[in-house]
Amino acid sequence: MEELHRLGLIRGELLFLDSMLHMYPPLLEATLTAALEHHDGQSGRLVLVYGDCSARMLDLVRRFRVGRVNVINCAQLLVGRDRYRLLMREGAFLVLPEWARRWEHLMSSELGLTRGVARELMGENRVVLVYLDTGLVPAPEQELAEFSSYTGLPWRVEAVTLDSMLAALLEAEAGARIEPDGQEMR
Amino acid sequence: MNIADFSDQLLTAMINADRAGAADIIECAVAAGVDPPRVIAHILDPAIVSLGRLWEGEAISLAQGFVASKIAEDALLRCLPVGGVHQHTKGAVVIGNIEDDFHSLGRRTVGLFLTAAGWDVYDLGNDVPAEQFLKKALEVNACVIGASAMMQTTALNIRRLRRLIDARGLRDRIKLAVGGAVFNWRPELVAEVGGDGTAHNAVGADQLFIRLQSQVKREVAQ
Ligand code: B12
Repeated sequence: MEELHRLGLIRGELLFLDSMLHMYPPLLEATLTAALEHHDGQSGRLVLVYGDCSARMLDLVRRFRVGRVNVINCAQLLVGRDRYRLLMREGAFLVLPEWARRWEHLMSSELGLTRGVARELMGENRVVLVYLDTGLVPAPEQELAEFSSYTGLPWRVEAVTLDSMLAALLEAEAGARIEPDGQEMR
Repeated sequence: MNIADFSDQLLTAMINADRAGAADIIECAVAAGVDPPRVIAHILDPAIVSLGRLWEGEAISLAQGFVASKIAEDALLRCLPVGGVHQHTKGAVVIGNIEDDFHSLGRRTVGLFLTAAGWDVYDLGNDVPAEQFLKKALEVNACVIGASAMMQTTALNIRRLRRLIDARGLRDRIKLAVGGAVFNWRPELVAEVGGDGTAHNAVGADQLFIRLQSQVKREVAQ
């Protein structure tokens, strides 16, 4: 999003919340609601760049009459609905840059998985690790190789453009309550 | 050891993510003369219900949840009649995760429980479009379609299946069961997506499907 902003393809201010809130859905909901309350009534359109990350995401959209990208998660935002479906059917476990760097901490501390359980869980549900490479940061090949040996799954890098994301953002903006300036929230 | 003790032990094994220990407990119960249907009804079911409560209270981790569902699957496979085939089935039902949803664990557990309870289960897997559900239901003459959705947006995809069933005039012939975590948290969603009923967990699915089947029979008879 920062890149799209830098290129002038999206306008407005980018606001970010901690991505780790995803591990604590009630806290994510509370933080997001507070942020929306804070901006409610201010001029401008507000766009939520969130997937179906909590069970009340659509309620927030209705309540604050904001726009929201019509995607399930950030991976679908990047690759688009059709490609996402194919990747899921292939049994891909999608890895994004921020996640790749912290995979070990996330698997053990956040998800409570031991190596054995992680292998079993991944092996039964997934077939391949696919890193989505926007080209904006170098692909963390070493971490991917380590994550691959930890899970027992092969890995590959798939290049993605920012086109799907841009289209989703613009569509969401068009769906937001119309008022002067522009703002985006992530 | 009485049957409730076996169930308590099994719950402990589930919480400890001890798959091998759980398998031993089931073997012990069978060796002690508890027949497989009673293992499911009196040992496995109560353990899963307790586990579900812990899960809803977020007292267990993803890892524990995963191993527990594996344990349930192991136990069911161990206790199902050979080949899983009943001589007199309760009838055919179709289940699957609705379009865009890939949360397979819950749906698979529901499928196993329904099979164990004597239904002919056609499991269409993940990401199933409305048309495919209905096509299969008509092909196998199913009285209930069970659609699983774990998320709010995917739950809303079930509305298309509802509309399709209604548009084909099949409302009285095919009932729509819905389920998944999001329905447990937001019961009002069942009506919003046009579901004819839901069950909190796999243990309740059999009763729900029996109830829906009886509605079909009543409505078709009228
Ligand atoms: C495991 C899990 C996953 C696994 C799924 C693995 C697999 N192969 O199934 C993975 C990691 C792939 C996953 C992915 C995602 N997930 Co997820 N996931 C979960 C989690 C932690 C547990 C679900 C589970 O398996 N439970 C165990 C089973 C046994 O229970 P159950 O599914 O509830 O099923 C029981 C009942 O509901 C009922 N039931 C289920 N279906 C049916 C159907 C009928 C007809 C009936 C009668 C009953 C019934 O019986 C079942 C057995 O007892 C839940 C959190 C939660 N508390 O539920 C989040 C959760 C569902 N996921 C969530 C999210 C956001 C996602 C992702 C979008 C995350 C992301 N950023 O990518 C993706 C989406 C993938 C997709 N396109 O579907 C959110 C959804 C929030 C919302 N909008 O409502 C949840 C609620 C977590 C949260 N943030 O709160 N997830």
